[in-house]
Amino acid sequence: MIDVKNLTHIYRSGKGIFDVSFNVKQGEVFGYLGPNGAGKTTTIRGLMGFTNAKSGSAVINGLDCRQDAADLQKIIGYLPGEMNMLDYMSGNEFIKFMSDMRNLKDTKRRDMLIERFELETEGKIKKMSKGMKQKLGVIVAFMHDPDVYILDEPTSGLDPLMQSVFLDLILEEKKRGKTILMSSHIFEEVQKVCDRVGIIKEGRIVTIRDISELASAKARSFTVEVGGAKDIETIESSGFDSRIVDENTIRISASYPFNEFYQLLSKCDVKSLKVDILTLESMFMKYYRQEDDSNE
Amino acid sequence: MNKTLYKTNIKANWGIFAFIFGMLMIYVSTSIAMFNPENADAMKAMFDMMPEGMIKAFGFTGLGTELTGYLAGYLYGFILIVFPLIYTALIANKMIAGHVDNGSMAYLLATPNTRKRVAGTQAIFLASTSALLIVIITGIIILMSAAVFPGHLEIPSFLLLNLVTLLLLVAVGGIGFLASCIFSDKKYSLAVGAGIPVLFVLFKMLADISEKVEFFRYFSIYSLLDAHRILEDVPYALIVGGSLLALSIVLYIAGIVIFNRKSLAI
Repeated sequence: MIDVKNLTHIYRSGKGIFDVSFNVKQGEVFGYLGPNGAGKTTTIRGLMGFTNAKSGSAVINGLDCRQDAADLQKIIGYLPGEMNMLDYMSGNEFIKFMSDMRNLKDTKRRDMLIERFELETEGKIKKMSKGMKQKLGVIVAFMHDPDVYILDEPTSGLDPLMQSVFLDLILEEKKRGKTILMSSHIFEEVQKVCDRVGIIKEGRIVTIRDISELASAKARSFTVEVGGAKDIETIESSGFDSRIVDENTIRISASYPFNEFYQLLSKCDVKSLKVDILTLESMFMKYYRQEDDSNE
Repeated sequence: MNKTLYKTNIKANWGIFAFIFGMLMIYVSTSIAMFNPENADAMKAMFDMMPEGMIKAFGFTGLGTELTGYLAGYLYGFILIVFPLIYTALIANKMIAGHVDNGSMAYLLATPNTRKRVAGTQAIFLASTSALLIVIITGIIILMSAAVFPGHLEIPSFLLLNLVTLLLLVAVGGIGFLASCIFSDKKYSLAVGAGIPVLFVLFKMLADISEKVEFFRYFSIYSLLDAHRILEDVPYALIVGGSLLALSIVLYIAGIVIFNRKSLAI
């Protein structure tokens, strides 16, 4: 459904995206991960037809994202990373404006969304909190029941309750066969709703993985707080992959069977033990570390 | 043309329109009130007291005892150039660069409207409301003149003068619109889109002050608005009007084409 091939866009600063390729199949939720400035938004601008790529192509549903941008907007729901709306309008006026710009007559779905997200539509957008603007953005992106969603950090600014309302909505849309690309830097939400995840770093895709692959991964990481430097030394010389977090805390990677790992711990003065369930995060960090190491 | 966007523009910009219109009304009404065919000598005496250069710079030339010529000299040399220029410069800047700079263009282009359609609507809004400003002012001058000095205003030639003023304003708006399409930063868009017309005004003022720097008139679009000549010379008025119309079409279309091809960081 979404097909990005060798997309390259370079800004005057020399930053940008380089040779980015990935695809999102119909009915799939693709998570696009990376830190700020990695190129997530630049890729999304390409998909929206805002930018002229230096080379490569972005195609949605067989149509070129730049040439056929206006036609594609009929089937795309877009949530920008920054909520720069026509802020002299009230929430209601903006929703009405966007509906009219889309020639959207049916208000059932948008009313459902307003209720679901508890949006206060009366006040001027200028005076709205970041979270309220974000909700307004979500409603505008979802109200025309598009086939493809392009969402740039959709949960940013939402409170935990609204984040969960949003993620439920994503799962529903996925069930209805919608194609979704969402950028994020929150591992938990990506892990919860995405089928696959692409990680971008300094403008280049470093890996694309199935989430199911991650879930079944046997490796776990543990954060252990120990009594002193001696224990740290013991752990470091044990042959387990480890990384010091601070003076008395160390993160250890271990995999099934864990007997050997427990034996190691029994030799140390363990003050606390935490299982890091965010395997996506550990994987993500791994890709970053590689980069950091090469910079050092 | 997109009606929704046009209507939204009205809501967002009627205040600027009203402000400029109000300013023009003050000058227009006082200038008509000040006109006194029997008292032309007193008027002349007042202007004689002001430095000649200043009178010329502001275009208050040839204030005759005849209403049409008086208005042409009093209003069309400076006031009906500068205030409408402020309007077009502000609106042109907001139409494209304003939306690109603050990112709201992303929402406009996230709807099934082509860039050409969006930019075309913005161009039409700018040109049509600029034209409306002059049309309303023209109507008011005619009505006020008819009320205070019935029969004094030579309506056909006065309408021709206003037609040229209108086309000139639309063309000046086109300069602002082109700048608005070229620059993604509204500061630059305003600096160029308002700066060039302001330079034109200054060049015209300079050229009017002294014959030594009269050559400046060739660097100003406003030299085309030679009010007294337009009142007397119909072919000249038509040629100037036609050229301004052609220039406007080129400017607006160039703006739309550039915006359509541009890479937007929104």
